[in-house]
Amino acid sequence: MASIKDHPLARAFLSLALVLVLGAVFNADGTFLQWATQRDMLRQVSVYGILACGMSVVIIAGGIDLSVGSILGLCAVAFSLLSMHRGAPDVIAIGATLALGTACGLISGGVIARFRVQPFIATLAMMVFARGLAKLISGGEKISTAVQLPDGTYQYADTPHLFDVISARMLGENVAVVTVILGVCLILVWILLSRTPWGRQIYAIGGNEEAALYAGIPVRSTKLLAYGLSGLSCAVAGICQAAQELQGDPEAGATYELTAIAMVVIGGTSLQGGRGSIWLTLLGVLIIGSLEKILSINAVGEETRLMLTGLIILAAVLFQRNT
Amino acid sequence: MRSTSRFSALLAAGLLACVSNAFTRNPRWTIGMSQCNLGEPWRVQMNADIKKSAEAYPELRVIFKDAQNDNLRQCAHVEEFARQKVNLIIISPKEAAPLAKPVADAFRSGIPVIVLDRRVMGNDYTCFIGADNKKIGRAAGKWIANQLKGKGNIVELKGLMTSTPGQDRNSGFREGIAGSGVSVIFEADMKWLEPNARIEMESALARFPNITLVYAHNDPGAHGAYLAARAAGREKQITFVGIDGLPQEGQMYVRQGVLSASFEYPTGGREAIAVALDILNGKKVQKEIVLPSRVFTYENVGKGGEWLKE
Repeated sequence: MASIKDHPLARAFLSLALVLVLGAVFNADGTFLQWATQRDMLRQVSVYGILACGMSVVIIAGGIDLSVGSILGLCAVAFSLLSMHRGAPDVIAIGATLALGTACGLISGGVIARFRVQPFIATLAMMVFARGLAKLISGGEKISTAVQLPDGTYQYADTPHLFDVISARMLGENVAVVTVILGVCLILVWILLSRTPWGRQIYAIGGNEEAALYAGIPVRSTKLLAYGLSGLSCAVAGICQAAQELQGDPEAGATYELTAIAMVVIGGTSLQGGRGSIWLTLLGVLIIGSLEKILSINAVGEETRLMLTGLIILAAVLFQRNT
Repeated sequence: MRSTSRFSALLAAGLLACVSNAFTRNPRWTIGMSQCNLGEPWRVQMNADIKKSAEAYPELRVIFKDAQNDNLRQCAHVEEFARQKVNLIIISPKEAAPLAKPVADAFRSGIPVIVLDRRVMGNDYTCFIGADNKKIGRAAGKWIANQLKGKGNIVELKGLMTSTPGQDRNSGFREGIAGSGVSVIFEADMKWLEPNARIEMESALARFPNITLVYAHNDPGAHGAYLAARAAGREKQITFVGIDGLPQEGQMYVRQGVLSASFEYPTGGREAIAVALDILNGKKVQKEIVLPSRVFTYENVGKGGEWLKE
């Protein structure tokens, strides 16, 4: 594999190891060394990680997707509305939400591929639009088990079983269901990127779009699908987010796009496009997740936390480049 | 090209419909309501309270504007209201200093101004209506100290500590528990956000085997902590207390037995319309109104909570 020859995977591993050493030193009375802490960390990064899966594909194709956080919020609201308030069957609630997220991604992709609008601008527009749509369909309120009646009083519905299933843990309480979902997303994206012609076309377009066009690669449809896939991963993440919060929050996912991009880039996937892999993203997810866990269990103050996070992101990216 | 012009025609028709709709009721007074940020459920509730109260009076029309957490945009909104000569302005300002000038200008031009929840600098407004976060924090502290009988380990999940509500809910609470024997063993800033509260609570749970109670500066924070404890199978050993007491949030959690108590932080929307009517009818009103607040517990939530004394 080319990616190993250039050693980005080894470098990302080294970054992760450094973070883990940091955790072992500042272990907060041994808390960091417990499996339960790591299990919680894996649950916490899962939603971000799912976003980062779609983001990896878009970034490798030479693009960027700023709309993932907003589409996540929109999908969380739509999913909660359907299953909590409308009592839709699980399959329909999930299916409709996945379709909604994919449609949002395809619209961004369509605008980028057909009208040659820069990805930054097109997905920025979708980011703003989807957030507005989420607020519109939710009426600006969180969609929870409290259902407002026309006279202004509230009626309290039960939490749908589906929410409990997704927010539960499995394999002897050892792995959160959302972490398993992240695992499935990672594997699916890996297969798509490295085992299908479409994946090779993604790398080709990201490396040199013009050359890809002359080589007869269907650039437009390939790009369209990349953004559609990102939209789909937003929908999956939105469902996971809603199930874990037991509500659909129209504000959910704000600034998540930045975390998702940071995870992809810290792993070592190039923002220039054409280079990178989904396993690098996994390492990026683990690096950021562990880092936040270390800061959290040590109850580090907010101001220090922000400064340290900024410095460590910078250090990690410089390290990726210079070694 | 053709589709563009058709679209703009549609848009114009829609706008026209909205505008004509707004004027058909022909109310006697127009109130301009400037909200600093509709991204928070509490503020959505404030607008809903104002809307609902105003609907009972056909002589009132309220125009709502949302500044989306932007001081300068909110300044512009107040200036717009003043220019279109609304009969009264209600403002829930983002920050005290930047909003002072446009509010003072409007007030001096003869438009009465009601300031809701957060203050503006100076004295150029008609009436301030708000609740006292410090008092609520102190009441929560005393309630908790009493509930725990002076013994217990508390996790405090703080709101944004660069904001005054966060600071007041923290310092009031510390005053409330002072000398009672309960201690805060873990504190973290969850920035009012439920996902953050859950993450911080998971860290607290991992570090401390004995947590008696969680005091969160808002109800979503307390709910996030509850979800973390439930995932760890420890929710039965821990008491959860939050602040805000919105019907669809805190009160619901109390009803469901998730929170043991939620302390109301009233929006003042209803009171603002009552005061506005007094002003418009030429009555004299107090310069400062401090809203009373309630505590909701499982026992009293069905009966509308219990008023806090002090």
